Amino acid sequence: TMLPLLLLLLLPAAHGTVEHVGYTPFLTRSPVLEGLTTASTFVLEQPRCVFEKYGNADIWLVVALEKTATAFNNSVGPGTPGSAFQNFPDSAPAYMTLNATLANYPCPKPAGDITVLRVGSETSCTEDVTRPTCNGPLSGPGPYVVKFLALEGSEPVAETDWSKPIILRTAKSPNSISTTNGGHGAGMIALTTILSILFAILLAGLVAML
Amino acid sequence: MAKSDDCMRILQGLLVFGNVVIGMCGIALTAECIYFVSDPHGVYPLLEATENNDIYAAAWIGIFVGFALFALAILGIIGIIKSDRTLLMVYIILMLITFAFEMASCITAATHRDFLTPNLFLKQMLERYQKSEPINSNDKWKTEGVTKTWDKIMVQNHCCGVLGPSDWQEYTSAFRLTHSDADFPWPRKCCVIDAQGLPINLDGCKLGVPGYYNSDGCYDTISGPVNTHAWGVAWFGFAILCWTFCVLLGTMFYWSGIEY
Repeated sequence: TMLPLLLLLLLPAAHGTVEHVGYTPFLTRSPVLEGLTTASTFVLEQPRCVFEKYGNADIWLVVALEKTATAFNNSVGPGTPGSAFQNFPDSAPAYMTLNATLANYPCPKPAGDITVLRVGSETSCTEDVTRPTCNGPLSGPGPYVVKFLALEGSEPVAETDWSKPIILRTAKSPNSISTTNGGHGAGMIALTTILSILFAILLAGLVAML
Repeated sequence: MAKSDDCMRILQGLLVFGNVVIGMCGIALTAECIYFVSDPHGVYPLLEATENNDIYAAAWIGIFVGFALFALAILGIIGIIKSDRTLLMVYIILMLITFAFEMASCITAATHRDFLTPNLFLKQMLERYQKSEPINSNDKWKTEGVTKTWDKIMVQNHCCGVLGPSDWQEYTSAFRLTHSDADFPWPRKCCVIDAQGLPINLDGCKLGVPGYYNSDGCYDTISGPVNTHAWGVAWFGFAILCWTFCVLLGTMFYWSGIEY
């Protein structure tokens, strides 16, 4: 009877505990960026001073749709079909990209530095299945949620919260722009009226002369 | 009925003075309209592509009207000094014709100015800037005109789009068909350019970091010259016509007072 109990206790340990770091990824607030969200990209603040205990880990960004986020399993490795950019969102609930180490995110952040991650900036590898960790442009307006996941080897060791939903911009057609002006200006009407009256008076004068 | 000599002399003097002013204003109108037609700010291709370039037609009419006013003013001065009925009749009739043309020019300029709203330029920019597949040679020529003009305006005036770089994000465009949103959130010419013609920081420009891209819209730099042009033709013409009206009435009065 002790054996099954021990096995039960050992089982969670074998899978390892993933520490839940209390950090929520967010879109960059400072400086104010014109291109914070575009139709296919968005800009995240880098996770500085978040993964301080994991100097050996690879820190990955996980991007999912708000509705598929719960289907993502931390153990699916990066670069596999289950986390490939090219399979998102059809057959993969999320994709992993923007691999970095703690050295890329030094703490504390130097004042005045712009520390951003632009999601969607790599346009050359969107169709390239040999690059499953491509940071390719997103194809719909979302809403997307992201989180950072730290892996040591292939074991997930830490993760952040999922971010708040990020909605991208949708472009309207230029046919929706109405170019009909709202009527003529007062100046134009005054000018036309006065000139017409003057001309009429002159014509009347001419007729009176003849 | 015979008028007293003094009265006629005073009227003669006034009319000669009036015609001198008309002559000078005619020259001024011609000069002003030549300046507008020469398009120093380079916005003509934009107006031509909107098929709304009647402001230029108004300026062309202004050139010829100004010249005609000058010539007729000389005729009028001669006619008044010689008190010649025939000459003055010819003068009055030709002046009325010139009056009608100038009236047309003023009204055209004022009316078409009202058409040139930000939305008009915005729609044209989105539909034509860097359009890659023109339908025919006319379309191609207009597209090239619009593209070159916008590139020049955006670089010289440090502006982007009509209302701002967000124009390129809010609407789809011919530009967007050939340039992906991730690589080109807005055209490269919206970036701050260095002496070689390259963006000083391409990533900063794509992100929209203040200082690396032009954040203002170009509408003010386009509408400024166009407004000056339209109001210059319309209201200066109106002023000339009001003065001409008075001189013509005086001339008709003088003509009826000349004895055979």
